[in-house]
Amino acid sequence: MADLPEMLAELQSVADSPKKMLAKYLAQGKKVVGCFPIYTPAELVHAAGMIPMGVWGGQVNPSVAGQYAPIFICSIMRSCLEFGMLGKYKGLSAVIMPILCDSFRGMSGAWRVGVKDIPLIALIQPQNREVDGAREFLAAEYGVVKEKLEEIAGHKISGDAIENSIAIYNSHNATLREFARAANRHLDVITPKIRHAVMKSAHFMEKAEHAAKVKDIVLKLAELPEHKWTGRKVVLTGITAEPGDLLDILAENKIAVVGDDLAQESRQFRTDIPAGQDPLDRLAGQWLSRSACSVVHEKTSARPDLVIKLAKENRADGVIICLMSFCDVEEYEYPLLAKTTAQAGLPSVCIDIDQSTENSGQARTKLQTFVEML
Amino acid sequence: MGEQVGQKPKRELPRSRVLVAEQTAKIYRDAFAAKARGEKVGWSTAIFPQEICETLDIPVLYPENNAASISAKHLGGELIEHAEGAMQYPSRICSYARLNMALADKIQDPAYSKADPLMPSPDFLLLANNSCTQLMKWYECLSRDLGIPIFFIDCLFNYYEEKPAKHKITYIRKQIEKYIWDMEAFSGKKFDWDKFLEVQKRSQINSKLFDEIIRLNMRTPAPMSGFDFFNYMSCLVLARGKESTTVIFEQLKKEVEEHIANNTTTFPSEEKYRVHWEGIACWPNLGHNLKTLKNYNVNAVINGYVTAWNVDYEPGDLDSMASAYASSSTNSLSTNTIMNMRADTIENYNCDGMLCHVNRSCKMMTFHIFVGRHIIEERTGVPCANFDGDQSDERIYSEAQFETRLQGLVEIMQHRKEANHG
Ligand code: SF4
Ligand code: SF4
Repeated sequence: MADLPEMLAELQSVADSPKKMLAKYLAQGKKVVGCFPIYTPAELVHAAGMIPMGVWGGQVNPSVAGQYAPIFICSIMRSCLEFGMLGKYKGLSAVIMPILCDSFRGMSGAWRVGVKDIPLIALIQPQNREVDGAREFLAAEYGVVKEKLEEIAGHKISGDAIENSIAIYNSHNATLREFARAANRHLDVITPKIRHAVMKSAHFMEKAEHAAKVKDIVLKLAELPEHKWTGRKVVLTGITAEPGDLLDILAENKIAVVGDDLAQESRQFRTDIPAGQDPLDRLAGQWLSRSACSVVHEKTSARPDLVIKLAKENRADGVIICLMSFCDVEEYEYPLLAKTTAQAGLPSVCIDIDQSTENSGQARTKLQTFVEML
Repeated sequence: MGEQVGQKPKRELPRSRVLVAEQTAKIYRDAFAAKARGEKVGWSTAIFPQEICETLDIPVLYPENNAASISAKHLGGELIEHAEGAMQYPSRICSYARLNMALADKIQDPAYSKADPLMPSPDFLLLANNSCTQLMKWYECLSRDLGIPIFFIDCLFNYYEEKPAKHKITYIRKQIEKYIWDMEAFSGKKFDWDKFLEVQKRSQINSKLFDEIIRLNMRTPAPMSGFDFFNYMSCLVLARGKESTTVIFEQLKKEVEEHIANNTTTFPSEEKYRVHWEGIACWPNLGHNLKTLKNYNVNAVINGYVTAWNVDYEPGDLDSMASAYASSSTNSLSTNTIMNMRADTIENYNCDGMLCHVNRSCKMMTFHIFVGRHIIEERTGVPCANFDGDQSDERIYSEAQFETRLQGLVEIMQHRKEANHG
């Protein structure tokens, strides 16, 4: 087993350059299918023997995406389109896009004109999850995705293969949750940036491979004495907490991340695929159990409750609301989040997450003021 | 969707417009009266299956329509400010939502009377997300803040061009059925299926009638200023299933036919150019839009927004109704589908150009413009011009930019005309 810094550096490098991973899998003769945020049935890609790879944009000031995506579309979709149009995703056999919001509605059209060489497999999850029929609907929708993936893979995807992938994904979820707990005992080693890298790298690696690496990291951490963190602790909520600069600012200000409700991170790992008879029905069941996420319709204040619980359980001093620029689903939830966390005695600060700029100057000032409040 | 929008009427209003005003006033009055009697009143998204509450005789008002009316009267600014200030909503969410959530908050104070028209505070919400996903988030906020239930029809989104697949229709039909039972239980009223069939038939009559009227504007020169149609949209949103709407549309049809017979028009200057207007109107800026269009002799003879309410189905067939609600809004269809429909319209209405409202509130409508503009240009050859605006937030629209963009479009349209004739 390599030593801990090496292991962490490896995942950092995966998180920093998904392109290298794409090249690596392609060189192994594997087919790779892009998976847009936030929830796609990546298990089906996995079951087909292909590699599902997250498509989460990146820091770029769009130069061509503006042709199809107005300036007031969420920052992450603009950069995904930019990268797609510039050929940065070349090598993907297709992309799967879940229509979770208005930006996605539009992107489904923009992708088809802007990135003609990478076919789009769109799908939509049911939002009225209380109605009898939502689950069957989604299983059928996944069935259509499965057929399209079979065409790309050139062979059928068996029920057993999907069951096998489901087991791998559930076990990966458990490992990442275990990592999040272990990280909190070693906040000196697991800096905000490293925590983020371990979680983000999951999107670009085959899940069994990733789980194995994270398990090793957890084992190595267990060998270290528990660290008494004397700085501040926060919980992050939002779509993503990037760029790395932002996380560096946290570290510089002695702020540790002790929990997250980020779409790119823990929202991926907190809901397992339930047991059941039929694999597509099981995958549909996972969507029905998802909660406390801005792209899931719920009548309750599940998300603020979860954020507060996370903060209390992990003794956080405050909450950082990472508001993705022009992400309306998150914007609607902002007032409730800000108010309820305040009522729970948790100070919060809202940071604009914008992939179109490297400049974190504004965030720096806000975070410096915030840390003084804690 | 605003009431009596556009410029202050110099002439006497046509009878159909008087009827619209009366109908709208009655719907609001009835809702307030029901509320005063302790009955339940609902708020609904614009393209929700209105047939069910119509059948149960439960009053329902429509926040999008209401926000449009308030904005057209320049009364929206203060509410938007309240949403962004005290209520902490980011300024980037849809301005209808900002305006309405602020209104919902304000009317909790019985003394509040500034907005016009006012709505009674709702006891339940009717949500269909066919127009967009923001509606879902907006209604979640209302539901939490007011502590009232949502009746939800998730209408999905047609990301490809084919008709909604069977599993989609089944899911939506099941929701409509559940909604009927749930609403029966909630209201304590018995659902009358025979009356339901009649309401469905009436809704179809009204939709078809309006479609026929709009088509009369295919004539050159057009009998109507295209903007006039905005004045009748409240009939389709608030009263799609009511007989009073049929009366209004029959009257309107007569008026338009009279214009055709007399070779007159409601467009206030010579119609030199005909354009397709894409997107929602800028309600607070309608006066400026219309004045500028008039000055440049441009009649926006047709727009996609007024045709978005055609919920076309077979009465008595819930599957057909489910399919219709899944594909009636501009924003529930793929850009390919919508822009090919627009190209047909541009050809049928003999348009010389397309004027597109890049609406800061509405991501999906704007995406259609950006992604589908090439379909229009390739299929029809007509030029397109964009301008920035917003349906309610007055801070986005610039009079100077609108005029410059229109002027640019007119120049191209003029050159094309000269080339075609010369
Ligand atoms: S708007 Fe929000 S939910 Fe939608 S794609 Fe963008 S970041 Fe994701
Ligand atoms: S204007 Fe657009 S975003 Fe706003 S409610 Fe209507 S469809 Fe939705």
